[in-house]
Amino acid sequence: MILGLRIREGDCVGCHACEVACKQEHDLPPGADRIRILERTPRFEPIYCRHCFRPPCLESCPTGAIKREKGIVFLDKEKCIGCKACMEACPFGAMGFDAEKGVAEKCDLCFQRTEKGERPACVSVCPARCMEFGDLKRFFSRSFP
Amino acid sequence: MEEVQKIRTACRSCHGGCGVIAHVKDGRLLKVEPDPDSPISEGTLCSKALAIKQLVYHPKRITSPLKKVDGKWAKVSWDEALDTITEKFKRIIEESGPEAICIGQGTGRDYESFLYRFANLLGTPNVITAGHMCYVSRIGACLVTCGNLPVCDYDGEPALVMVWGNNAPWTNPDEYKGVKLLKTLQKGAKLITVDPRRVYLAERADIHLQLRPGTDAALALGMLHVILEERLYDEEFVSSYVHGWEEFRARVAQWPLDKVEAITWIPREKIVSAARLYAKTKPACIQWGVPIEQTLNCTDSNRLLVALMAVTGNLDVKGGNVFFVPPPVRTVTEVALHKALPKEKKEKMLGADENKLAARVALVSPKHVWDAILKGKPYKVRGMLLCGTNPVVTRANSREVYEALSQVEFLATIDFFLTPTAELGHVFLPAATWIEQDYVGDFWKRHGYVVARRKCITVGECKQDHEIFMLLGKRMGQTQWWNTMEEALDYMLEPSGLKWSDFKEMGYLKGKMEYQKYLTKGFSTPTGKVELYCTTFEKWGYDPLPTYREIPESPYSTPELMDKYPYILTTGQRIPVFFHSANRQIPWLREIRPEPICEIHPDTASRHGIKNGDWVWISSPRGRIKQRAKVTDIVDPRVIAAEHGWWYPEMEAPGYGFDVSNVNILTDNDPAHYDKPMGATNLRVLICNIEKCEEGD
Repeated sequence: MILGLRIREGDCVGCHACEVACKQEHDLPPGADRIRILERTPRFEPIYCRHCFRPPCLESCPTGAIKREKGIVFLDKEKCIGCKACMEACPFGAMGFDAEKGVAEKCDLCFQRTEKGERPACVSVCPARCMEFGDLKRFFSRSFP
Repeated sequence: MEEVQKIRTACRSCHGGCGVIAHVKDGRLLKVEPDPDSPISEGTLCSKALAIKQLVYHPKRITSPLKKVDGKWAKVSWDEALDTITEKFKRIIEESGPEAICIGQGTGRDYESFLYRFANLLGTPNVITAGHMCYVSRIGACLVTCGNLPVCDYDGEPALVMVWGNNAPWTNPDEYKGVKLLKTLQKGAKLITVDPRRVYLAERADIHLQLRPGTDAALALGMLHVILEERLYDEEFVSSYVHGWEEFRARVAQWPLDKVEAITWIPREKIVSAARLYAKTKPACIQWGVPIEQTLNCTDSNRLLVALMAVTGNLDVKGGNVFFVPPPVRTVTEVALHKALPKEKKEKMLGADENKLAARVALVSPKHVWDAILKGKPYKVRGMLLCGTNPVVTRANSREVYEALSQVEFLATIDFFLTPTAELGHVFLPAATWIEQDYVGDFWKRHGYVVARRKCITVGECKQDHEIFMLLGKRMGQTQWWNTMEEALDYMLEPSGLKWSDFKEMGYLKGKMEYQKYLTKGFSTPTGKVELYCTTFEKWGYDPLPTYREIPESPYSTPELMDKYPYILTTGQRIPVFFHSANRQIPWLREIRPEPICEIHPDTASRHGIKNGDWVWISSPRGRIKQRAKVTDIVDPRVIAAEHGWWYPEMEAPGYGFDVSNVNILTDNDPAHYDKPMGATNLRVLICNIEKCEEGD
């Protein structure tokens, strides 16, 4: 199983609730984004981690700080040296950076919530209901082996 | 250390109502989550609610009363702060009468009834709110037309929604939060949008009517023209339940489509298609927004949308625009004690002769108050108490507002932060946020619910706004208050048979909905019918039939100014993370919109050498401000769209840059340009020019 988010972009209304829900859940400072909504007026483009099948962030990390565990691509901040290689490698621009701590910031699919059967914070608030959490193989069965 | 408590409550970061589960531990708020059982928000939340923790624990929040001593703020006790206000107000009443005191609030919030109770018992008729151009103006226009406010009945599954001047997913609609609209669209309802900007909803619409800003009334007349001419109206409803049909027909006949096309800039074929689609799809509802109220056509725009609902048979039918039945709790009018205000005091209300509908709904268009302060006409206003409002930023003609509030003899404010308005005051009372208060929420709204808002935490010495009015009222010698807030809440709930202690566990209470109440009761108007010919207006000396008046500043009414101000400026498009002038100091919200944005069409931008992201001067006959350009074709090349509510909490006190990007530096409050019944100002449409800011500007 490879867990991830699916966002139906056409249904995103650009309200930014997911961003603030994420900031609140993980108590992140401004700028340290795990999800962002770009305003491509009149449409919106969500920037978020795909928890890729072969994650470029993981492959690029020189310290092994990024790993896949239980289907989720994780960042171990203790091991992160803030070199930003993952930010350059990510084709979706989804890696964040916590300038205060000098480490990368990354979506962990709110594993502490999902372990309890709750949805990730961003998914749980979305008024457009355009976000889903689940097995990526189910979402994109054709593009995954 | 105790366990995490999860407390069900209700938000009020905008007008309020959304269901929240607050996580609290050791008296401290950890986070908020959406309440899956809320009938209003249906398990969703917006950015403003989700950032409440940063408001509650903001380092610059004022958490104890302040008093200005020798021009500087000093911390004082509640007793001293309240005594200062009481002594001052008592002296003013003795010397000049209670009408020399003006009480005010900003956007619609549910302390309204407590604020009015205080004002009515004080004996002053002078209350300013945002209501002269926002929501209350809609209620007023509806009261005289059809007796109540018709609201979209999403639960009744409309087959079509006409969203008129309302970017619901981004804004704070008074009855719904966009959640139900989006769900309705996902179920396949058709969509017509009326908006000068081609926003997200317009992209999804079956028909988008991109009108010239401020011409909504003309467009409605054009659509009615089609509906009447093609006999698409509900003949049975019209013959039984409409007053003044022949007169109304004759008025609509004066608005042929070539005329409407020239005024609104919308091709006639599109008006025809939209009118047919709206009239033929049943049931259909109109989700109406506030922009139609913020011009000199305020009241008539509202009356015309009611006319569209009525003639198509969509009024108070399932899935149409309905009169929701409130739950059995006391009404706002009862709690506000409007009857306690003596008639001779009511007659002293500022502007009442001019703005008779505003007077009927117990409010004063603020320009009258600024005149009373600055010119002493018809008498001097000497004292003010403002709660949850920042008129220096949010009312038309900011410089005049600033001048008036600088000159008023005594000003007290109730707020979370020192704002450009609060800084002009003499006493500051720290308000509790919604998560720090117990209240029967939403009972002022006409959507059929009340919700239980519960105190989850306390912060500093902050008190909830309702309680502040109660404490002040008692000090002023007013006897009709309660001993505690809980007693007040029990009184409000009394008709339901519930006590606050029961209700707070229930979460919400819903009125028992009944459709087509007119079949047995008629409409609550003098004739018992929908008055498309308004007998109340006839009595008051206004045009009984709705019409469109040309916008005071426009290419058509002021062609001589177009050389200098060649563009139409529309203001006040909503930003989802802010609420009017609020939230600019909340880091999680401000990072999403760090600076104000004005939208400029690519052709227009290139003519001025303006690129995306450039700072731009926007000037009007009143002044100039700067905002960042967003070059986008969602606006017409002749139109500039600028955001409102901007001040910079990070800039220097006392002004906090209220004149840098605040669009109300540009807007006009000349009474000659009012909507006469309400005194609504033309916030949404004026003329402007643009110019790229140079380095160092």
